[in-house]
Amino acid sequence: MTAVRAQPLVSQAKTQDVRIIDTDVHERAELYSLLPYLEPKWRKYITDFGWQPDRVLPYAQFAAGGLDREDAKLPDGRPGGSDYNLLREQLLDEYNIDYAVLTGWLDASALAPGWPEFKTALMSAYNDWQLENWVARDERILGSVHVNAHDPQNAAREIDRMGAHPEFVQAIVYIGDKAYGDPYYHPIFEAAARNNLPIGLHHSENSPTALGFHRYFVEWHTLVPQVFMSEIVSLIFNGVLDKFPTLQVIMIEGGTTYVPHLMSRADQQYKELRSEVPWVKRMPSDIIREQFRFSTQPTEEMSPEKFLALIDGVGSEDLFCFSTDYPHWDFDSPWEALPAGLPEGLQRKIFFENAQHLYPKMPALRAR
Amino acid sequence: MKQVVCKIDELGPGEMKPAQLGPIRVVVIRAMDGTLHGLAAKCLHQGGPLERGRLYDHTVASSDVGEYVMDSDREILKCPWHGYEYDIRTGQTVFDETRCLQTFTVREEGDEITVELGVPGAAGQAGSARASA
Ligand code: FES
Repeated sequence: MTAVRAQPLVSQAKTQDVRIIDTDVHERAELYSLLPYLEPKWRKYITDFGWQPDRVLPYAQFAAGGLDREDAKLPDGRPGGSDYNLLREQLLDEYNIDYAVLTGWLDASALAPGWPEFKTALMSAYNDWQLENWVARDERILGSVHVNAHDPQNAAREIDRMGAHPEFVQAIVYIGDKAYGDPYYHPIFEAAARNNLPIGLHHSENSPTALGFHRYFVEWHTLVPQVFMSEIVSLIFNGVLDKFPTLQVIMIEGGTTYVPHLMSRADQQYKELRSEVPWVKRMPSDIIREQFRFSTQPTEEMSPEKFLALIDGVGSEDLFCFSTDYPHWDFDSPWEALPAGLPEGLQRKIFFENAQHLYPKMPALRAR
Repeated sequence: MKQVVCKIDELGPGEMKPAQLGPIRVVVIRAMDGTLHGLAAKCLHQGGPLERGRLYDHTVASSDVGEYVMDSDREILKCPWHGYEYDIRTGQTVFDETRCLQTFTVREEGDEITVELGVPGAAGQAGSARASA
């Protein structure tokens, strides 16, 4: 009989029982399910007038299931992330996740700035919905405070309000087409620092490339790191990290491989052009190492040697935090996304220790 | 090692069913021409469950920018996660023919479809079998 050549089930996380903190998990709301949490005066704009979030991305997503993993969509047609039981089964239980940090769906910061009052109210409703339907339901699930960045003073108040909740561990700001280093947005960062919450920055379907929206989705998706580089550069050179030296920022869903290039180039520019931004007191690469973290997904297939060269390129083992992006199509499997054979200490840092340090409010890992 | 997958009439053209062959998860597919094919169901990329993917009775092909042609000579199983495309007959990925899923022999035996270890079409084996009318 032909010998069976079973395909590799290489599973560092699985075989070594590594603890896992997932820093990017997308729960999904239906707009109508937010109504009970929305102040009554705003409800008719959804129920009667049909408000919908604006979406600029002009493409279909060419994966098997569109935006979602095909197997994460609900049989009744609801999108992935809509159902707690399925999320628990496919993510929390399947991979024995210790903590999952929710990163959401609807985020006003990524939308065009108009009508800030409504969107600020909508974000408060979203946070209350998130708390009741997800965070309160499973001790492994931790929340993110969503805000409307285009209404910075009220965004700061929302961070104060929800940041007081012990299981909301970060404030999240989605990226549209605005550079958040502008002092106009600083109240948001100030509030995050005041509440000892990291800021998560996550791209969106309204994040353009440097040349807007090209002809094809594959172009846009290849170039997603551009918008992360834009935000990092904006925050550094507009002095946000110097102004709020305790602030931590995690860049969510841009991947990791752009980071060495950005560090090197920003350092060189700083050496040459520092006098334009005298409020920046440290080398950009040092600011990045001290105050930025990066979620790992979407990973690129690479050898352990190449991955270790990436770690070498950023000069630290402390920057990358594992994430799956469940339930989206470019989900990274905890068992397979990182190359096999990485040093155990590095795996521990990426899978959970770096995230533990990033999120001061995250509870200790429970004994297994 | 051999495993019954289902009754013959439970797998129509353009449909697939999962099967477990010892430790190996397999997906059994009936092509649009009625032939049967067996592929390892663990995606070569990150192990996505291919039996939860999408079958297409064509490949999207073209050499001209902006033109989309449906090539029905090549049927595809697309991974439910990141969308790697596999030729259901060979197990090869469309983007790199050297990356190939393990294939299995699938037969119709009596009123059942079976899957077993072995390369389809290898000596002494029936390989992928055309459905009897
Ligand atoms: S796991 Fe199948 S394409 Fe990634």
